[in-house]
Amino acid sequence: MFNNNLKVGWRNLKRQPFLTFLNTFGLAIGMAGGLLISLFIYDEFSFDQMFPDADRIHRINVDIKFGGQDGEYAVVASPLAEIVLDYSQVEMTTRFRTQGSMLIKKPDAALNVKELQTTFVDSSFFEMFGLELLEGDTKTALRNPNSLILTKTAAEKHFKINEAVGQNMTLNNSEAYIVTGVIDDLPENSFLRNHSVFMAMSGYEDSRSTEWGSNNYNTFIKLTPTADIESFQEPLQAIFSKYLVPYAQRFMPGLTEEAFKASGNYVNYSTMPLTDIHLHSSRIADISPNSNIQNVYILSFIAFFLILLASVNFMNLSTAHSLKRAKEVGIRKTLGSNKFSLIKQFLTEAGLISFLSLLLALVVAFLAMPFFNELSGKELSIPFFNPIFWLLLVSVAAVLGLFSGSYPAFFMSKFAPVKTLKGGGQSSVGGGGIRNMLVVFQFAISVFLIVSTLVVFQQLNYIQSKDLGFTKEQILIVDDVYGAGNQVQTFKQKVQQLALVKSASLSSFLPTPSSRSDDGYKIQGVNEQDNNLQMQSWRVDHDYVSTLNFEIIEGRDFDQKYGTDTSSIILNESAIAVMEKSAKEALGMKVVRNFQNEEEEVLTVIGVVKNFHYESLKDDIGALSLSLGDGAAKMSVKLNGGNLSNTISSIEKAWNEVAPGQPFNYYFMDDSFNETYQAEERLGRIFIIFTFLSILIACLGLFGLAAFNAEKRTKEIGIRKVLGASVTQITYGLSVDFLKLVGIAIFIALPLGWYAMNSWLEDFSYRIEIPWWTYVLAAFLAVMISIITVSFQSIKAAIVNPIDSLKTE
Amino acid sequence: MIQLRNLERYYKSGFQKSWVLKGINLDVKQGEFITIMGDSGAGKSTLLQIIGMLDAANKGEYNFFDEEVHRFNEKKRTELYKHYIGFVFQAYHLIDDLTVYENIETPLIYRGIKSKERKPMVAELLDRFNIVAKKDLFPDQLSGGQQQLVGLARAIIGKPKLLLADEPTGNLHTKQGEEIMQLFKELHNEGMTIIQVTHSEKNAQYGDRIVHLEDGYVREDKNVNELLERN
Repeated sequence: MFNNNLKVGWRNLKRQPFLTFLNTFGLAIGMAGGLLISLFIYDEFSFDQMFPDADRIHRINVDIKFGGQDGEYAVVASPLAEIVLDYSQVEMTTRFRTQGSMLIKKPDAALNVKELQTTFVDSSFFEMFGLELLEGDTKTALRNPNSLILTKTAAEKHFKINEAVGQNMTLNNSEAYIVTGVIDDLPENSFLRNHSVFMAMSGYEDSRSTEWGSNNYNTFIKLTPTADIESFQEPLQAIFSKYLVPYAQRFMPGLTEEAFKASGNYVNYSTMPLTDIHLHSSRIADISPNSNIQNVYILSFIAFFLILLASVNFMNLSTAHSLKRAKEVGIRKTLGSNKFSLIKQFLTEAGLISFLSLLLALVVAFLAMPFFNELSGKELSIPFFNPIFWLLLVSVAAVLGLFSGSYPAFFMSKFAPVKTLKGGGQSSVGGGGIRNMLVVFQFAISVFLIVSTLVVFQQLNYIQSKDLGFTKEQILIVDDVYGAGNQVQTFKQKVQQLALVKSASLSSFLPTPSSRSDDGYKIQGVNEQDNNLQMQSWRVDHDYVSTLNFEIIEGRDFDQKYGTDTSSIILNESAIAVMEKSAKEALGMKVVRNFQNEEEEVLTVIGVVKNFHYESLKDDIGALSLSLGDGAAKMSVKLNGGNLSNTISSIEKAWNEVAPGQPFNYYFMDDSFNETYQAEERLGRIFIIFTFLSILIACLGLFGLAAFNAEKRTKEIGIRKVLGASVTQITYGLSVDFLKLVGIAIFIALPLGWYAMNSWLEDFSYRIEIPWWTYVLAAFLAVMISIITVSFQSIKAAIVNPIDSLKTE
Repeated sequence: MIQLRNLERYYKSGFQKSWVLKGINLDVKQGEFITIMGDSGAGKSTLLQIIGMLDAANKGEYNFFDEEVHRFNEKKRTELYKHYIGFVFQAYHLIDDLTVYENIETPLIYRGIKSKERKPMVAELLDRFNIVAKKDLFPDQLSGGQQQLVGLARAIIGKPKLLLADEPTGNLHTKQGEEIMQLFKELHNEGMTIIQVTHSEKNAQYGDRIVHLEDGYVREDKNVNELLERN
């Protein structure tokens, strides 16, 4: 019986190649899209699952509001780890103090190698994350100061890994280290991806600090097997009253916990499971950039809808074309077939199409994979050798076949033989209402996606063209200038002398999102906690403001003429707002930096800089200060235009003169800026592609329906033409019904699009108002696309000679 | 074998009923070859469909081998005609996607007969109807007469007690028609009960009883011999 069904099904597909093509192609696109997105989502959820005790590992977070600033941190103060280690729930703790990029070489080597992600880490690292050393001993590897371990890839840049242990290394041209171990490269889907150098925390002086004022340590705990995280929360919260309040009282005498809280301030500790970090953490100082669960949801919806659209297509086309099968149903029924065996027959055919589509989908997905990886920034591949993957795939195809086939099967098996065998009575097949609903559904989704795409791109465009408060174009950044050591000023002078260079500036930070440094500030003589603030301290030079084109709205820039500028400070508008001063009042004001500790210094405000965006536009502009200082990490070079590659090679030449053997790294500021919005840009591109696909699928369906409709009405068209109807009138008559459906779809989709995109935009502190023409354009596009799709069939039917069409009976 | 009592079939349009069949009383004995005649719209085909259980009467009784068909639901009717009734249509109604062999085989599949047993049954009929050479062709590769042969073979392969034919020669030219009618006669002689609907007086002569319908009533119900004598 099954064989028979299969055989008949196969012949049926061959008999109607156009329908088979529409169905298979539509389903295959849906499946391929769904497959790619599923692999993507699977990868997103696999993050940090590879660590043996991942379910017991949590990170400690802290939310702080103090001094007019609030922040959610992935880092806590250094003493916290040791305190929680005493708690009965905690088996061990590990702290990371990330250092960003470093230059590393063997002491006698001429050239440095730049490693992008390095960190100090406690010696419990191996046990915490269940890591094995390829070389070395986990018990001692990170115990002694100035010992480090490397990943396999990082080690192989210098020596064979079996010779690595015991080697001397020099970091940043100054610090001497000894290699004590080599670990395997860390997986791409772990929070430690791209990290290649791990240095013993015992060599990092600050890690023994008992200060609670600065939060710099990513701190992980591992619970004992029997403990649950809930019972840990209360003792964790208690740290605030037990340690932080007494600490703060040292420099704010009389401060009580009650007063602190009454003024709206807070310090809230919380924990986050290791495996949640990738999708749920967007905190300050996360070890690696994370994804957003919202995007995963969006993608899941897209994948789901894509497959649903394809399925709906299948139902629509199958029921529409069931006219052709009506006679067969009638005959089979007279031959003794019951409904059930007919349903089985039709489901077999649906299953067959589903599996054909699956094969095609695999080919499509395989071919599209490199582009998808480019799009998603991942390195995914189809797990061809994973039996579970195949099992899943086949079951999904089977379910999809059953689902898509169910409606047509029940629909068709209901045909009454008396009606279908009479011939002529073809138009009585029915099901038009549901078909119309499905078309509306498909187009509603398409219109929704068009609106979303338009909004995402407008927002992206807005971000990229927004006045940021500085000029990011024509700025070349030379990275890691500390490689030049004390020659860095010479380098700056050499660059400034180049003809194509307008100006150059050395600074510790740039207004593009990166790691930051903040300090505590207060106005001299004011002890009220409200006007104390934690703000960005950027060490810059005299040329910084002019090179990046910041606007000084009050007072003046740093100037060589004033010898006293080393104790001067420039604040931004947000900073003086927290201090509750106007720009004029702020000038000449004395502020105390690091008032909590012995590094305290007093600075005079000489200017107020207009707020500029230095973090993502998702965030508000925080308080910031500029002061003169050394320790520059980057040099910004403002170019005059002209021959770019010549300029770059001149700058490189200057670099090699002052810092021979040091790597010369540069990038353009606007590129780095654009990277900040990579996630949004990806989302935008993904939207475009999947919007296109969903429209394509919807059009395939509409095309098939229009063809069916025209065919069904061949005779009517013939008669109308004989009666004198023009081609235009007939085309209109055939198309207008579909356009009504598209109209209804637009009516449904626009409010949904409006609502969804407004909630998406709420994520951005700086966002567009969705202009009215977005909706008009989306509606217009949908109507145009459907007109083109439908009229092709309608015109084809309308220009047929009526003699031919009337002969069909 | 078949008793129809006061059978009515009507269609409602608004508050009006339009009758297709009204007050039909008919008895069919096993082994009879009955011809139903009448003008277009007299209700011939509807009567045949009701007898064939493809349609149901609105009123009246229908007993088939002492079973009360008018009380059956669709599923039970299907069960019944699957085992007792074969159909032949004017437009042949072969399944386009199946070969001659497969078309003939299909009813056996629905009866759950095993493949091994189906083969000799189909082969025998192919042989009998002289269409062995055509067995792998599809319907659209056959002439009308050949298609109707296949239709007939398909109708009788399950050895039905009752063969229903709706204008079986209507689409055929004379010679092909005669060939088919000859086969009907043979089947009749072998003891099969046959009811045919036809316009053709000549075809009616192959049977042994003619029922004449007029506007939904039985106008005349006579033996062929009686009619011949009368003429």
